[in-house]
Amino acid sequence: MDAIVVENLTKHFRKAYDKTLKGFFISVAKRESRYEEFVALNNVSFSVKKGESYAIIGKNGAGKSTLFKVLSGIISPDSGEVQMNGKVAPLIELGAGLSRDLTGAENIRLNCAIFGLSKARIRDVYDSIVEFSELEDFIDTPVKFYSSGMKSRLGFAIAIHVDAEIILIDEVLAVGDKDFKKKCYTKMEELRNEGKTLVVVSHSLKPLRRICDRALLLEKGEVKDIGSIDEILDKYESEKPKKKKTKGA
Amino acid sequence: MFADIMKYKELLYFLVHKEVRIRYRNSIFGFLWTLLEPLGLMAIYALVFGEILNKNLVKAYPLFILMGLIPWTFFNNTLRRGTKALSGNVSLIKKVYFPREIFPITILLANLVNFVPAFILVFVIAMFTPGLHLQWYQLIYLPGALLLQCLFTLACTFLVSVLNVYYRDVEFIVNLMLRAWMYLCPIIYPVSLLGASKSDLVREFAWLYFLNPMAVIISMYHGIFYPKEAVTKIPPSMIIFVIILSLLLLVFSWWIFKRLNRRVGEVI
Repeated sequence: MDAIVVENLTKHFRKAYDKTLKGFFISVAKRESRYEEFVALNNVSFSVKKGESYAIIGKNGAGKSTLFKVLSGIISPDSGEVQMNGKVAPLIELGAGLSRDLTGAENIRLNCAIFGLSKARIRDVYDSIVEFSELEDFIDTPVKFYSSGMKSRLGFAIAIHVDAEIILIDEVLAVGDKDFKKKCYTKMEELRNEGKTLVVVSHSLKPLRRICDRALLLEKGEVKDIGSIDEILDKYESEKPKKKKTKGA
Repeated sequence: MFADIMKYKELLYFLVHKEVRIRYRNSIFGFLWTLLEPLGLMAIYALVFGEILNKNLVKAYPLFILMGLIPWTFFNNTLRRGTKALSGNVSLIKKVYFPREIFPITILLANLVNFVPAFILVFVIAMFTPGLHLQWYQLIYLPGALLLQCLFTLACTFLVSVLNVYYRDVEFIVNLMLRAWMYLCPIIYPVSLLGASKSDLVREFAWLYFLNPMAVIISMYHGIFYPKEAVTKIPPSMIIFVIILSLLLLVFSWWIFKRLNRRVGEVI
């Protein structure tokens, strides 16, 4: 069975939406539409098998983050279907879902509760989350005083402990130090071996080859290519220098 | 809807706990403020209306004010804080998904936690106040009053919380409306005053007064110690109307919430 099935997904955003009363009357008087539509995702279809590791790559503005937010349910698509078979733990940007005013310990409890863990289960995983994040000394400090590296460590540690079947990881590993990155990649391989489904968005392409099986290349909101990770990455990398030249000229 | 929310029992408990604690963080009196706030307001009204304007409209006037003011504070604070229930939780809403109905419900429950002990305290004080007699049979209205108030408050909170994401004007409108609304409830004056009013205008439009669900709800609380101001003096058709109105409003605002919720993730 497929863990994620996306069919003909389309998402428009409205931009330049002048919210003032003056702007409203002017646009009514001129009889123009009050917002401009912008296509973030256009007819995207793909599926991820259970236990597969999937990479989504593309340049800035290709729609990766939008796709991610749709997958995690934060924004809803205009048309098309998204099917997620299993519990989803999204890790969007750094410190996803962390509340600034709460301490690290409280954030662990809050996030575990968000993912529907019972009180007893939270107690069970609490220690291993603290241990994995290496934040023993700062666990009673409010998260607003955390460095970005600490936040991403905590966020990652929580996401891998909430018994999710599908884990979405978006660029969060860009800030951790070398050792922690290594630890995360090892953990991700472990999760893959356990049969969990991983979807990764990343700019650092090298580790992706090790972790992922297949990849999807997004360009301007459209699926450009789907294939094995090596095939897609080779294509993507060979394309890059060309772009640079055209920019220079 | 409720089955969905019961799955998040643990989260709801955590958020309510957090809400109650965070409100009085860094304050010396802490939880006591739930009582000090209405007490302070009561002192102001008792001084202005009871002493300066010399209108001691009912027996034990300060206590009468308090009996209405404490349920009103419950409504008032839930709505005020509920306006920001979604717009104040951007970091959570933008990063993870769970049923967003949880936010307004959290605010309601947190304020309920504040309301119950304050009400019990006033109730006990009233029991021992000379001249006031507990009307036992009026107590049957108390659970109804509480339930009706929760439903009506929740309906309003659903509506304003999601609208405020789209238009921050809602915050200002709500604050202003709550001011006016308070004077349209029998808090600083008794209901019986309306019928006996010298003003033709007031007598003519007195029937409109009970279209306001909060007026009916507060009368239910009043009746426990002030039989003349009891809900039983209100025409029964009005009470039925208010119950139906509250239920319809809840269905309507829940539907609006569901609809507008679809874009909340991007607009917020």
